[in-house]
Amino acid sequence: MPRLAIALLRHAYTIDPLLPLLLRPCRTLAAAQNELRWLREHVDKLVQARRPVNRKLQQQPKALLRRLAVERASGKPLQYILGTEFFGELELRCQPGVLIPRPETAASVTHLSHLIQNAPALPSELRVLDLCTGTGCIPLLFDHDFSSARSDRRLQLLGVDISDKAIGLAHRNLARVRRWKASAGRGDVDFILADVLSNPFGDQTLDPPCLKAALNFNKKPYFWDIVIANPPYISPSAYWSTTTRSVRGFEPKLALVPPPRPGNNDTEQADYFYPRLLTAARDAEAKIVLLEVADLDQAMRVATMARRIAIFDGIEIWRDQPDQRNESAVGISAEFPVRGQGNARSVLCWRGLGATWLGRGRATKTSRTTRA
Amino acid sequence: MPPSSSSWLLVRLPTLRSYLHNGMLAHARARPFTSTALQASKQLPPRRAIHDSDIEENFLKGSGPGGQKINKTSSAVQLKHLATGIVIKCQETRSRTQNRKIARRILAERIEELELGDQSRTAVKARLKSKKKASADKKKKRKYRALEAAKDGGEEDEVDEEDNTEAEIPTQETSPEDMKKGG
Ligand SMILES: C[S@@+](CC[C@H](N)C(=O)[O-])C[C@H]1O[C@@H](n2cnc3c(N)ncnc32)[C@H](O)[C@@H]1O
Repeated sequence: MPRLAIALLRHAYTIDPLLPLLLRPCRTLAAAQNELRWLREHVDKLVQARRPVNRKLQQQPKALLRRLAVERASGKPLQYILGTEFFGELELRCQPGVLIPRPETAASVTHLSHLIQNAPALPSELRVLDLCTGTGCIPLLFDHDFSSARSDRRLQLLGVDISDKAIGLAHRNLARVRRWKASAGRGDVDFILADVLSNPFGDQTLDPPCLKAALNFNKKPYFWDIVIANPPYISPSAYWSTTTRSVRGFEPKLALVPPPRPGNNDTEQADYFYPRLLTAARDAEAKIVLLEVADLDQAMRVATMARRIAIFDGIEIWRDQPDQRNESAVGISAEFPVRGQGNARSVLCWRGLGATWLGRGRATKTSRTTRA
Repeated sequence: MPPSSSSWLLVRLPTLRSYLHNGMLAHARARPFTSTALQASKQLPPRRAIHDSDIEENFLKGSGPGGQKINKTSSAVQLKHLATGIVIKCQETRSRTQNRKIARRILAERIEELELGDQSRTAVKARLKSKKKASADKKKKRKYRALEAAKDGGEEDEVDEEDNTEAEIPTQETSPEDMKKGG
């Protein structure tokens, strides 16, 4: 990383003595100023809180602000310092040990909800299963978005994760969202512990259990209409070369890099979750499957895997902003339609009624036309 | 949530006519002409809503990979109004959803300023504010004159609201005059 110019640091200092600290992780003055403002708002809120978290620090807001700026300078994500992150319209709790939700994930979930919320022929109870749920952000946002638009369908949503910490945080986020006045979510939401990688025909006494055993034990249905997952998808080499320092230093590797297996190369390791997720979706008889990926290469590999299991009627690739018009369809293979703008971000598969819910006729296998 | 594409464009009648004249608008709805509405619109014109198809929206997050690989707070939103070329950037809050709403509101105000000049909401508001300020200033001056001998210059600076929203208004490409002439 290039060093910051002395002149910039000096200029920042004259604006606010804390800004040089924030310039380190933020790189630009505008970004540092934004973060300083948010930190300050956070400290103000703490100071005004009726139940003080730390009385001594509360009496010294300046010292507290400085301490938070120093923490941020070490690379600690702002979301862990402030304790929350926005995900669509929701503000969710974040804590070290659980991955911070990303805006691209929120954009895909919101878009999926948008596509199906006015669909004909939805079942009276729509079931959504989120594998690798982390903070619980995906089921919580889907519930909020879908329920804001439509109230004549019951929703059942279930998030699954291997991490105790994640499941605990997801439950707290559910309680938080339910307390929030503007929340529209009314679905039946729950979170359970399971290892989505372990073999359902293997040892049944594993801890945490495999998905099937966990569903059974928690008296959850086997069948789900929609399966969503944002699994760990970064290869070991990409972890070192393409993730930012703040990600490597502060977010759990368990959430980012799939486990190694003997004989797997770098790419196979990155893709390790997808065959299991697709099998789980098949077993759940899912009509719609939405899987997040790292980039176009991985999207193509996952789409190809999905085609190989030969149960889907349609497969397409979504970019970061799937709701935007796609103006640069150049250089993309005609094999799978690619929708939206930005980097390739997820793979959408559907079958049977899923096509109707999504408004994808069986004939529409070509990518959408560009703007006139 | 952004305003849905079915939202109506709210404009005052003179503008509405010029828009229709230019063939820029297929659907528009003016306020019903009750006397109360007229009176209210004399005070403050109605807010203008913007169609999603009138703008280009961009989330500024720098280049490079996204998703799990970065965890920056990337809530910045940039809107470009296609007809006028006005660009609004907003990173007021940490919530992208919220920033989208704010950016749309400010864009609506800027477009209106272009169209209506000193009839726009912001101009009317500013006038009301400056009237209030003027009368407050008068009072202040009287007070100061009375205290003149004792003190010198106790007037405080008015603190500017911290501004995290920028607007760029193109000067050459499209001016409001062009908009009216063209079409
Ligand atoms: C990339 S994070 C996604 C979290 C959340 N869905 C989101 O979008 O922010 C991946 C999650 O998968 C979980 N995970 C990792 N290995 C798992 C496994 N074998 N079974 C179930 N969950 C697993 C991690 O604990 C982590 O919470």
